[in-house]
Amino acid sequence: MQSNGRSSLSAPAAAAIVVDGLSKTYHVPEREGGFGAAVRSFFRRRHRDVHAVQQVSFEIRPGEIVGFLGPNGAGKTTTLKMLSGLLHPTDGAAQVLGFTPWERKPGYLRSMTLVMGQRNRLSWDIPAADSFLLNQAVYRIGDEEYQRTLAELDELLELAPIMRKPVRNLSLGERMKCELAAGLLHRPKVLFLDEPTIGLDITAQARIREFLQEYNRRTGATILLTSHYMADVTALCERIIIIHHGQLKYDGAIADLARRIAPFKLIGVALQDGAGGDLSRYGTPIANENGDGKQLIQVRSEEVAPIAAQLLADLPVQDLTIEDPPIEDVIERAFHE
Amino acid sequence: MLRIYKRMWQVNWAEQWQYRANLLMYLLFWLVSPIVFLAVWTTVANSQGSVSGLTANDFTTYYLTLLIVDNLTTQITIHILAYKIQDGTLSGELLKPVHPILTNTLINNLAFKTLMLMVLVPVWLVLCLLFQPDFSSVTPQSLLLAIPAIVLGFGNSFLFGAIITCVAFWTTRVYALNEFYDALFILFGGLFVPLQLLPQAVQQIAQYLPFQLRIYFPIQLILGRVPPDAIVRNFALGLLWFVIGLALFQLVWRRGVKRFSAVGA
Repeated sequence: MQSNGRSSLSAPAAAAIVVDGLSKTYHVPEREGGFGAAVRSFFRRRHRDVHAVQQVSFEIRPGEIVGFLGPNGAGKTTTLKMLSGLLHPTDGAAQVLGFTPWERKPGYLRSMTLVMGQRNRLSWDIPAADSFLLNQAVYRIGDEEYQRTLAELDELLELAPIMRKPVRNLSLGERMKCELAAGLLHRPKVLFLDEPTIGLDITAQARIREFLQEYNRRTGATILLTSHYMADVTALCERIIIIHHGQLKYDGAIADLARRIAPFKLIGVALQDGAGGDLSRYGTPIANENGDGKQLIQVRSEEVAPIAAQLLADLPVQDLTIEDPPIEDVIERAFHE
Repeated sequence: MLRIYKRMWQVNWAEQWQYRANLLMYLLFWLVSPIVFLAVWTTVANSQGSVSGLTANDFTTYYLTLLIVDNLTTQITIHILAYKIQDGTLSGELLKPVHPILTNTLINNLAFKTLMLMVLVPVWLVLCLLFQPDFSSVTPQSLLLAIPAIVLGFGNSFLFGAIITCVAFWTTRVYALNEFYDALFILFGGLFVPLQLLPQAVQQIAQYLPFQLRIYFPIQLILGRVPPDAIVRNFALGLLWFVIGLALFQLVWRRGVKRFSAVGA
């Protein structure tokens, strides 16, 4: 699909991440439930090929923050695992910072990070501060740089009150902050974030979001993140990549997505005296969840002006608004197209 | 690299202290089988005067030395790592630019061992008071010689323990394999019975296997019962097994990680 003006594939050195025809097929055993099936499968295993990622290609420039979206099972995590060197692809190639990820060269492992929302890099039984010190040694961070980075992370994430407690005693949000800090102490140039805000409350989500933005601004790091929270995506990413059933569905500006996927506008109408009326002959009625009492109809973008004029002429209109559809709905629609 | 080991030690040491109850169970487990063997053989020796020339006190001395040597050369890698391979949490360690087994797992073993030893030594002293072993043959030289033997014994046991654990990359039944491996140890290592009491043919086989290098050889060395040519032969054999173990481990680890990353645990 659209390539957001990056179609000049000429200079791979300029890109932080180059993914070319990446594919991953899992060979998974399968059997039906029940005793008979269990016995049969003992003698003859049946396998099925699951094409988790198929021929995915994209490029990401240094310093970009890109949202990587798709419904559950779309292949997002598999892709991130391949890019962070945890998975060998079945086919295709990828270069991140000039490295082939799954060769797992120490130089590569030192310059990237993968933070997964529910997996811990931190040792459960000891305070995060101790794990940080371990990371300092493992990633060969000099004392001065370590202190500076930790101070910076503390300033952004407010670690001081929580990093001395055993990790098992932290709340989910506190743990996530420590996870992020542990993953960023070595100042990676590339960040793969898989659901970095999962399970967090709105305030904590917002904090992590601000932090990522600030980290990106300060260090120029390249970030590829998945999230189920559209607020994360709209706040952080100008560009999104959508995959579904392992295939790339969209790659481009988030602003263009609505135009391409959902060339609709929403017209909200409030009639005088709170009167109701059937607006279905003007456009498709949509349930209004704002609680402002307006009736909503969806119309094609190019028909907005004539329909609005028609509404004003036909009905005792007190208030009329024209809005873009919520991005959540647009992305939802993109998944299912 | 030294710094990495130092920090890993700090982390693993702190972690070990979190499992005090666990440690007590391990300690009991550790004590039970040598003491049972000790009791059985001393009873037999007492009733017959001796068993193939070994007196009751010989058995006591042997098994009380074994308690310490066994702890120093054992490894618990399968308990540290196999579940991480199976549930995929090994991923977290694979993201780090150091070898998980040769750093974290190794240090974890050493931290466990040290803490165990701290608890074991007082218990051991009490047992010595109770059973009155005869350590008159132990000399400073024999103790000094035993140090490299114990290091080598642990090196080999660590490598082969790691190899067995790596089988978890291919099968979830790795614990059964480990049980079998432990059984070989009990028989050929000198735990069930001092090796000189085994049938001649079995002794012939046992002396070339790595198992005796971990337990029987260091014990006999400490007790000053190994002739010089056998000392040289056993050290050479230990080094040979170490090289074989290292090569095999590298192979199994590389293949294993590749498989791990193919199935996407």
